[in-house]
Amino acid sequence: MAGLDWPTDYLRAHVPHLAIVSLLALYPSIYHLLANSLGLYEAEILLPGVETMTAVLYFGLFAMSFDFISGYTGYLSFGHAAFYGTGAYTVILVANGAVPLLGPGTPFVVSLLVAGLLAVLLALVVGLVSFRLSGVYFAMITLGFAQVLYVFIRGWDYVARNPRDGPSVGPTHSEGFQLGVPGVDQLNVAIGVLTGDEVTMLGHTLGGTAVSYYAIGAVVLLCYFAMQRIIHSPFGRVMIAIRENEERAVAIGYDTYRYKLAAFAVSGFFAAIAGGLFAGFRRSASPENSFYFLTTGDALLASIIGGFGTLAGPLFGRLFDETVREFLSKSGQGGGLLPYLRAGLGEETLSTPVVGNTSLGTLIDTLLNGHASLYIGIVFVLFVLYVPDGLLGTVRQRVGGKLAHVSAVRFGDGSTANATTDDATGEEE
Amino acid sequence: MSLLELDGVHAYYGDSHILEGVDLSVEDGEVVALVGRNGVGKTTTLRSILQLTPPREGEIRFREASLVGLETHEVAQQGVGWIPEDRRIFSQLTVEENLRAAIPGSDGVSDGLALAFDSFPILEERRRQEAGTLSGGQQQMLAIARGLVGENDLLLVDEPSEGLAPQIVADVAEALSEASEDATMLLVEQNLPLALDLADRFYIVDNGRVVDTGDADAVSADDERFRRYLSA
Repeated sequence: MAGLDWPTDYLRAHVPHLAIVSLLALYPSIYHLLANSLGLYEAEILLPGVETMTAVLYFGLFAMSFDFISGYTGYLSFGHAAFYGTGAYTVILVANGAVPLLGPGTPFVVSLLVAGLLAVLLALVVGLVSFRLSGVYFAMITLGFAQVLYVFIRGWDYVARNPRDGPSVGPTHSEGFQLGVPGVDQLNVAIGVLTGDEVTMLGHTLGGTAVSYYAIGAVVLLCYFAMQRIIHSPFGRVMIAIRENEERAVAIGYDTYRYKLAAFAVSGFFAAIAGGLFAGFRRSASPENSFYFLTTGDALLASIIGGFGTLAGPLFGRLFDETVREFLSKSGQGGGLLPYLRAGLGEETLSTPVVGNTSLGTLIDTLLNGHASLYIGIVFVLFVLYVPDGLLGTVRQRVGGKLAHVSAVRFGDGSTANATTDDATGEEE
Repeated sequence: MSLLELDGVHAYYGDSHILEGVDLSVEDGEVVALVGRNGVGKTTTLRSILQLTPPREGEIRFREASLVGLETHEVAQQGVGWIPEDRRIFSQLTVEENLRAAIPGSDGVSDGLALAFDSFPILEERRRQEAGTLSGGQQQMLAIARGLVGENDLLLVDEPSEGLAPQIVADVAEALSEASEDATMLLVEQNLPLALDLADRFYIVDNGRVVDTGDADAVSADDERFRRYLSA
């Protein structure tokens, strides 16, 4: 009766997935409840806002795509921002009617797919040359390609009136991008900071940002499961074999060059989807926040914090990164530590001298105002030194394996865990 | 015609001339041992056959077709398997995934796994375990099993007993002995008694050349020829 057992087995193996997805799904409500309904000032100040969480999702997808190639084949793609930028620019240019054959009315999902396919082509071109090299040389040549593209885009006045500032969605597409099933109005919602749809369900109204959060979250989840399936397929096993010992993989008979190229293309596709979601939500992009190498740096940071070669880890890494940034920012979306201290301590306490003539308020200002990046840098160094496996990697070590395996054993029996590795192949969390 | 023939093979690491004209042959169905001191070019000979260290001069023929100039994966696809020294398992894949990775295509997976588990029952017990967490001996068993399941016509076996406890060496020897009944092997092995026990013929390699050869049954490990070339 194995056929009847599989839904239960599947759910058992996916308890961690369900828990995380449920938590993320409930987040806007939890935030709303704590910050607005209960009026907890600390919640409003210290928790990341829904807009920040939306950014975590699309950038988390980009970081996962970076981990897909870098964490699973061991080839650090330092030029990954090129694919993210391609996605972002394609979506905006299609919306502005600047892409031949694709008018401003092109469904957003189609724009996303076109962006993904363009990134695949770009990845194949870059990969054909770059995968002749390995190690630091591969990292440098991909970085070189991306920087060439960055400089080109920065000076290409076809993409925007001022290409250094980048393009934004023009008046031909004033409404929000419809994310959903093309052609079925009931299954589409508009996304965007200011242009997102409001949806009323069960007497509860979701604002535009929350709707965008769910719509983008659904796409990110879909992309995550797609990448996860690939990693657990025979193709993914070869990717891991390449990372573990490429010489051995070649000697088994695998043409690793083709495998790496294909993995790079898949990774580029999902990076472009992430870039497209970013542009769809923000309705603008610039060379600096898309094509620039520091965008790849942020994905690297998220991967290291979350756990290299864990796929989901970079999403948590990005969440950690954004939360700390916002917490330390002088006026983040949620407020941050600085305004919290200012409001909580009161004028009298803040004006108390603590070092010479320097008041506590000045000292707090000196230490916290505008130094988020500095502290993030320190956190990064501490992670590299003391949590080298990242958040998810460390959790896996502590619980003795991938969470799905542990979950299958914990909530089922040993044979369930074995069964999972056979077909569902040990889902990662 | 021999299954494998090396004719005047020269190979280099950078400017270092490692193989200085290796000539040898392996017939279908036989086990041939390559013996010699450390650093004389035994492993490089195997790497040259696989084109991991492509020869600069000479010819390597497998089933009468030249392997020189092919990519390593193309050599492997022709039926040349490799059990490398230092094991080189995929440590983050499970035992079973390591074995599956060694079986090209989806056909023959069940037979391959059965063969591996039959040869090394401990691997079946550990099939879900990450290979990196196995003991050294078990990792070597996995490396050998991975070579055996690959449906290869020729198996290049590099130092299978290196660094193993005596009991494990006995298990490995037994598995190789069983495998040799159906397989053709070119075996590099420092453990001379083990090499002679498994092999039909031997080649002694010294300074990048084959300096002697003979039937394994006709000699013992303390033969003068081995003392001359293998003693430190």
